[in-house]
Amino acid sequence: MIRLHDLCMAFDDELVLDHINLYINDSEFLTLLGPSGCGKTTTLRIIGGFTTPTSGDVTFDGVRINDVPPHKRQINTVFQKYALFPHLDVFENVAFGLRIAKVPEAEVTERVTEMLEVVSLKGFERRHIDQLSGGQQQRVAIARALVNRPKVLLLDEPLGALDLRLRKDMQIELKRIQQQMGITFIYVTHDQEEALTMSDTVVVMDKGRIQQIGTPEDIYNEPKNAFVADFIGESNILNGTMVRDGVVRMYRREFPCVDGGFAPNEPVDVVIRPEDIDIVPVEQGQLVGTVTNVTFKGMQYDIIVDLGGFKWLIQTTDHSPVGAQVGVKIDPEGFHIMKKSEYSGMFGDYSSYSEEYEELGAAAPDEEESGDEE
Amino acid sequence: MKRQQPNGFFNRFLMALVALFLYAPIFILIIFSFNAGTSSSVWKGFSLHWYGQLFHNQIIMRSVYITLLVSLLATVIATIAGTFAAIGFYAMRRRRRDALMAVNNIPMMNADIVTGVSLALLFVVFFNGWSSFAGWVNSWQSAVVLPEKLSMGFGTLLIAHVMFNIPYVILSVGPKLRQMDRNLVDAAQDLGCTWMQAFWKVIIPEIKPGIVSGALTAFTMSIDDFIISYFTAGSSTSTLAMTIYGMTKKRVSPEINAISTLLFVTVLLLLAIVNIREASMERQGERRRTAAAVPGFTRTSDGKMPVWMRVVAGAVGCGLLAVLIISGRSANARPVVNVCSWGEYIDEELITEFEETTGIHVNYQTAESNEALYSLIAMGGADFDVIVPSDYMIARLIEEDRLAELDYDNIPNFQLIGEQFTHLSYDPENKYTVPYTWGSLGIIYNETMVDEPITSWDAMFDPKYAGQVLMINNSRDALAAALLDLGYDINTTDEAQLTEAFQLLKDAKDNGVYQAFVMDQVFQKMEGGNAAIAMYYAGDYLTMLENNEDLRYVVPEEGSNWFVDAMCVLKTSQHKREAEAWINFIASTESNLANMDYIWYASPNAEALEQYPDYYLELYEEELDEELYNIMALPDEERERCTLYINLPPETLALYNDLWNRLGV
Repeated sequence: MIRLHDLCMAFDDELVLDHINLYINDSEFLTLLGPSGCGKTTTLRIIGGFTTPTSGDVTFDGVRINDVPPHKRQINTVFQKYALFPHLDVFENVAFGLRIAKVPEAEVTERVTEMLEVVSLKGFERRHIDQLSGGQQQRVAIARALVNRPKVLLLDEPLGALDLRLRKDMQIELKRIQQQMGITFIYVTHDQEEALTMSDTVVVMDKGRIQQIGTPEDIYNEPKNAFVADFIGESNILNGTMVRDGVVRMYRREFPCVDGGFAPNEPVDVVIRPEDIDIVPVEQGQLVGTVTNVTFKGMQYDIIVDLGGFKWLIQTTDHSPVGAQVGVKIDPEGFHIMKKSEYSGMFGDYSSYSEEYEELGAAAPDEEESGDEE
Repeated sequence: MKRQQPNGFFNRFLMALVALFLYAPIFILIIFSFNAGTSSSVWKGFSLHWYGQLFHNQIIMRSVYITLLVSLLATVIATIAGTFAAIGFYAMRRRRRDALMAVNNIPMMNADIVTGVSLALLFVVFFNGWSSFAGWVNSWQSAVVLPEKLSMGFGTLLIAHVMFNIPYVILSVGPKLRQMDRNLVDAAQDLGCTWMQAFWKVIIPEIKPGIVSGALTAFTMSIDDFIISYFTAGSSTSTLAMTIYGMTKKRVSPEINAISTLLFVTVLLLLAIVNIREASMERQGERRRTAAAVPGFTRTSDGKMPVWMRVVAGAVGCGLLAVLIISGRSANARPVVNVCSWGEYIDEELITEFEETTGIHVNYQTAESNEALYSLIAMGGADFDVIVPSDYMIARLIEEDRLAELDYDNIPNFQLIGEQFTHLSYDPENKYTVPYTWGSLGIIYNETMVDEPITSWDAMFDPKYAGQVLMINNSRDALAAALLDLGYDINTTDEAQLTEAFQLLKDAKDNGVYQAFVMDQVFQKMEGGNAAIAMYYAGDYLTMLENNEDLRYVVPEEGSNWFVDAMCVLKTSQHKREAEAWINFIASTESNLANMDYIWYASPNAEALEQYPDYYLELYEEELDEELYNIMALPDEERERCTLYINLPPETLALYNDLWNRLGV
């Protein structure tokens, strides 16, 4: 339905989007996921028509729409911080687009009422915007966009300003609305959990490039490179050598795995998810290390184990004291082998564990628009 | 909290003192605007007379009209331009925006006088350029004839006001834009608006409070601007502030108090509206936020202006419009004559009468002094037709070839001018001038404060009256007093004589003879009995006498200066015929009688001089005091003891300047 073809975008010689190619299907919930400054909001703004790409094409149902202004596109947007009109009440905010389109008054009332019902805001028609909570404002913003019956809805970190609890509720709510309306949602977020929860398709972006496109399961289980592996969930990423199909070598010993298709003895990145590692008694372990840090996380312990100088994160329900010698065991399915990439060696080591973990937890809201100042 | 209590009284006392310091002058002005008498220091009872008088004063009403028109137009233009400029600034990168904001702030900080002078200069330069351009265009084609001579007037005044108003609008719109969510415009476009629709439906409602307060500030600034208007209004236009200033040239009349009070109240009202708006908007925001926290709250107000505020706003708008219409009624007649005279120097009804009988519109301006008038003319920004300079300045203007020869066939009333007032030293062949008034310089004293009647200029230098003497604050007159006292000619160019005169003055000053060097303050001081002796003009003495009967006037035995102010037409005049019609009208016996009665300066019209006592009797039903009349219109033998000033050569003028500076007034 929407196609991005070789899209490039530069602000002041700084390349923000680097040859983006993307197909977006009808009725799909597609998420653009990436850290701040990865180009996801720029991509969204190009689709919305607020920014014109430096080069490349945007097509909508096969028609090039690069130069079509936003008000002529059948696309609506839910903005970061909602961008509701403070001088209008809830009803008038939602009715704004219909009034511009000169829809008859009776139909306006009908459609706005219907839409407020969809977003569970019946009875709030005459409230002023600053009399609403964040979640309510959020829903007004969604209603205001959807009432115009767009073919595509763009959502730019719509949940960023909400607290955790509300965010979880709204995730489910959004998914429900999308299924009810049956239209395409293009969703931008830096929150990997949000992306995995709601999306049909996740597009992981970094440095203006698409790193991987796939279903949430694909992205999680089969990350293409160290960046994706690290950005989606926690990962231990180690250097290894693919001895032959099904056998990977690291720590000077060979481990059985299920991946294949590499050249003999090709250097590779080995990803091992923390939850795929078992702590066992020393004598049963494939490797032996020392516990250097233990954090209680509620459902599990995060245990850092020093294995030959490389610190691993292991998530387990069993407690091991700091300083204890433990054995480590990984099933063949626990290994995910990736080709070397520019990201190799940059992620996956938990030597500076605590800081990095905190950072991930409190990732700042996206401010990637270099044109933005506030 | 409690601990501050002991200081409470002291604090409040200080506050009251500060408030008194700030508002006492205005308060006094307001009180005296209701004074029944003419004095600004002696209270003679409550009256609304001066307010009534205002509305009959053509000059004031016309300047009110000009002020309102220019303020309204400038506000509208500046608000539109400033709003768009602010939007432009807003779209810029921060560094460039900050730099531009600094540039924007400079005109507000800049001294008005610098802004005014530089604008005047710009206009003059442009006009010169334009006149050569227009001349060139007209020389090779005749399809479109461009006017070759442009002059400052309403247009330039408006441009200047727009210019100094724009920064205020930008300053008040800018923050509103910055508070606005950047995505609002995108959101509106996303919902189907073109950029223009988004601008009207979203940006304007969002920044409306900023626009309104910017417009109100701009309007206030325009209404009370004086300095910039003064330099850019040219000669045919005059704002209220300029008119008031012109009126103060002679003295502060209660009419000025009245109009100043009205101006003050207007500005106060505007400021109050701005502040109340801001405060109520803040409160509204607060209320909404708290309301949001209360579930189930239903809004009562719809977030718009309460009814009473709309009514007030509507009433103010209607009032402004009404004043505009009333004061503008008579402002559009043509042809015109531009007259520049002194403040309080004409019976304004004469202007109305002239306009009604001839259909010629009079732009009546005032200058503060001969020197100020001269610089206006020399700068080239003025397009006066008729001016009324004094004798010595006329000589200078003739010398510099700035005056046009008059066609006396068009001025039959010139015949009525007494022959002792024509062919005087400044215009020996009488080709350029028709006298307007004449008078003498003398000593005014309070007879209850001196031992014996004053007869000599000695009194101005006598240590006996130390601290009781007011010396005139103008070098020519002050040195003239000293020269006369020493028995020299007041037009001497002899450096030794002048230095001697200076020394006399300097010694008296050092001995503490002078309470002050004054011009207009002489009225308050003499009327209030704060000084015993002053030197000033005869006509002004008569005004003072009304408020203090103990005052006396004398032309000292050594002789004195007498002066003639005469009407002349500038060489650059574009309305010479109208100018001559005006001069002829003013030279008539009726006009001279009316003027004499109004300004109390003697007329040069022989018939008027003769008929005035009868005229007075008829008008006021009482005899004119002959003694007083002889002060106003000196009998010939006394007048012959006095000398006219002549235009001094440049080196003598320089010496005057130098001596005056050394005196250190």
